[in-house]
Amino acid sequence: MTTLAHLPAGEATPQPFVVGHAVEVTKVSKWYGNLVAVNDISFGLGPGIHGLLGPNGAGKSTLLHMLAGFLRPSAGLVAINGKSTWKNPEMYRQVGLVPERESVYSFLTGKEFVIQAAQLQGLPNPEGAAARAIHLVDLEFAQDRACGGYSKGMKQRVKIAAAIVHEPEVLLLDEPFNGADPRQRLHMMAMLKQMAADGRTIVFSSHILEEVERLAENVLVIVSGRLAASGDFREIRRLMTDRPHTFTVRSSDNRRLGSALVADPSVFAIELDTDWVKVSTSDFAAFTLAAPRVARREGVTLFELRPTDESLESVFSYLVKR
Amino acid sequence: MSRVIFMLTLRQLAGQKRTLLMLLFAALPIAIAIIYRLAADETDRVQFVANGLLSGLVVAIVLPLTALIFGTAALGAEIEDGTAVYLLAKPIPRWRIVLPKVLAAWLATSVLLFAAAVISGGIVIAGEPGGEVVVAFGVAVVLGSLVYCTAFVMLSILTSRALIVGLIYVFLWEAVINSLFKGTRFLSVRQATLGIADGLTSISPRDFEARLNGSTAAILMVVGTAVTLWIAIRALERFEIGEST
Repeated sequence: MTTLAHLPAGEATPQPFVVGHAVEVTKVSKWYGNLVAVNDISFGLGPGIHGLLGPNGAGKSTLLHMLAGFLRPSAGLVAINGKSTWKNPEMYRQVGLVPERESVYSFLTGKEFVIQAAQLQGLPNPEGAAARAIHLVDLEFAQDRACGGYSKGMKQRVKIAAAIVHEPEVLLLDEPFNGADPRQRLHMMAMLKQMAADGRTIVFSSHILEEVERLAENVLVIVSGRLAASGDFREIRRLMTDRPHTFTVRSSDNRRLGSALVADPSVFAIELDTDWVKVSTSDFAAFTLAAPRVARREGVTLFELRPTDESLESVFSYLVKR
Repeated sequence: MSRVIFMLTLRQLAGQKRTLLMLLFAALPIAIAIIYRLAADETDRVQFVANGLLSGLVVAIVLPLTALIFGTAALGAEIEDGTAVYLLAKPIPRWRIVLPKVLAAWLATSVLLFAAAVISGGIVIAGEPGGEVVVAFGVAVVLGSLVYCTAFVMLSILTSRALIVGLIYVFLWEAVINSLFKGTRFLSVRQATLGIADGLTSISPRDFEARLNGSTAAILMVVGTAVTLWIAIRALERFEIGEST
């Protein structure tokens, strides 16, 4: 379900609580003295990849820390598999956490670090589980080296290996791609997608829009401590009816098509170029229906009809500026 | 208790530069004992060992500072550098994190302190009666290490300035306030340690006398360890990790 909060009105639209969600956040707030870091947020997350997006200081890290059971909500409930995450160490049997901070035990080898995680999880075969996790993050070549000598990207991978060693149902990652090179990034994305396909719930925060756009099926946009929007970002964009959508249209006769389209009620501006027509519309769905109809009527062949402001970056900058 | 956390903590403590510093620090009483023997002073050796070397240097300075360094590093260093997350995000009750941390800090502190007390005291006493005083102090510093380490592990969970608070306790409360107000001896690990040492020997009060008797000191040590351990576990159960930690 996609929702869009109308922040100027002062009230976020909470996504209804759905029974059966692995992660449930119900009317959660967190404040420090007079500072409100998270303000009355509700959502539920099931299997899949969910991106937590927001400008610095928006409250996404605070929210992720509450999901991880490291911060007590000032109000509301954060639950995983129906149980509160606060003061509940048992939940870590189903939860894996990749913290943002780079620090790892520098004197342990990568293998020892992951085996230790498996032992602390109480797994029956820590060595076997660690070997599987290290293989998944493609770090076998460096597993016998001390973590202190690892690059930033390698530290990220060994942290992920330690977090997935017990095959958690819910994986929380705070800025997981920091320091990873493009190849490692693609590898990690593929791994996370596979985990999601296996029915796991993955929540990650990132300030890199491209990462969220490529990886997340569902985006939670946090602005000023509130949930500004949630859902598929293309759907979020379509719900922004107070902001015109723009399309780039290429056809066999751009001038003729532009003249015809400007008369359509769904269109309120046209910009003509030799190679394309840029159309502004307030009604996404109506225009996508009208454009081919008008083209056929005018005897013009449509080569391309492309929305130009549907990127996550466009959605995000709009939500942040509202 | 988690053996994994205990071994991890020992490796952490052993690998730190401050451990080397503590080794040198623990060697200080031994160096002083050697100087004493070389100087061949004719003072009462038992009195020098009990009143000067062991109670004045080992128990009053080396013990609390070594326990402070190891006790605050055992868990505090991980909280500070962010690696504590790898322990806290595991399905283990918090007492199973606190207890091995305390025991590892205790082992590191007590090994150093026992060696410092027995070797330095032995050097001074060698060839004279009074070896039981050295053994009594050896046992007392091992027990005192436990109370100090538990208290300093607790402090490292309660505050990010555990080292400063610990120094204030050792040098203001135990050194100054205790000497001014006799009634505060019941809240002093140093006095309890000296009480244990006194209780384990039949040393003449002329040579050494603690402000607490042995059984009172033992009770205070048990109560002190239990209370600080309980507070440490409770504090870790409620420990919050914000964005900057």
